[in-house]
Amino acid sequence: MRKSVLAAVGLAALVALPAVATPAETATPWIHVRVEEADKESRVHVNLPLSVVEAVLEATPEIIESHGKVNLGKHHGIKLEDVRRIWKELAAVGDAELVTVEEKDETVKVWRKGDRIHVRVEKAGKEEVRVEVPVSLVSAALAGSEEAINVKAALAELRTARGDIVQVNDGDSAVRIWIDEQNSQAR
Amino acid sequence: MVKLAAILAVPLALLATVASLGVVVVDVREGGPDGHRIVVPVPLVLAQAALAVAPAVAEEELRVPDTGALEHIGVARGVLEAIAAAPDGELVRVEQPDEQVLVVKEGDALLVRVHGREGEDVSVRVPLRMALSALPDREGRVSTLALAGSLGAVRFTDLVEVHDGENHVRVWVW
Repeated sequence: MRKSVLAAVGLAALVALPAVATPAETATPWIHVRVEEADKESRVHVNLPLSVVEAVLEATPEIIESHGKVNLGKHHGIKLEDVRRIWKELAAVGDAELVTVEEKDETVKVWRKGDRIHVRVEKAGKEEVRVEVPVSLVSAALAGSEEAINVKAALAELRTARGDIVQVNDGDSAVRIWIDEQNSQAR
Repeated sequence: MVKLAAILAVPLALLATVASLGVVVVDVREGGPDGHRIVVPVPLVLAQAALAVAPAVAEEELRVPDTGALEHIGVARGVLEAIAAAPDGELVRVEQPDEQVLVVKEGDALLVRVHGREGEDVSVRVPLRMALSALPDREGRVSTLALAGSLGAVRFTDLVEVHDGENHVRVWVW
């Protein structure tokens, strides 16, 4: 009895935590990650101001070169200059279905609608991956002429991006990544 | 009468001086309201003095061994500085049936709250300035002098509170 009372008090204390637990508008963009596993009754929320993400990337010289670019090298099978060339063509196309792969139990679709590139993966109705990337974000990441992704430009673009970026639902778990100016997640 | 007042004045003045400079208080209660209670007040100035002279006494012991983690100190420092400059908000919330964890940036501190399966509650307030001071440099040296200085900035702050049923531990700076 006593433990359950303590547990209730603890939970109440957590719920009643500071005013910041209530979503509030800030002048800073926040990246939100939400992972929910229904079978485990587990929820993980991570909210980071974009400035913190930038700090991580800027302070990681092994990942980011001093000019803020990730080097892909040439051992990944495709040169970045080829990716840039393909992207230049795609960006000029406008709204279109870019890729469709239909297999027995999996469908992959990539299309452009408006200012976003959409990727959707469906597996026999069980798993769904939905990625929405702003066209401007891809363009920024591919800006430049070196064999490297321009992380600084991509981050600068993220500062103006709002809305969902990634959603994954596989029945048991759901992952959502989005950007807005709220300092927490509505529950 | 004047003699008595003069005798009492010295310890009282000393006490007032120590109190005005700050006190770290460790308060431990065991076994519920009727259990033992231990309160250890440590004058802040004493803690600061100990930290200030620590390198002269135990320089090697204060050095963090390089196990590969030191190369990431720059990242940790950058992240803490960015968090300090960022607006207040809820950074992490983990909710599971038997455990809840919450990390909130509140003012110039990180507040960590854990509610465990046995009903225990842990609440830790990490002043960001103190956390930055506690970070070693790339050679693994901890600047205890900077740490001592940051202690003065956390007065009137609850640093740690642990409640596990009948036992209660609280550390605060007065």
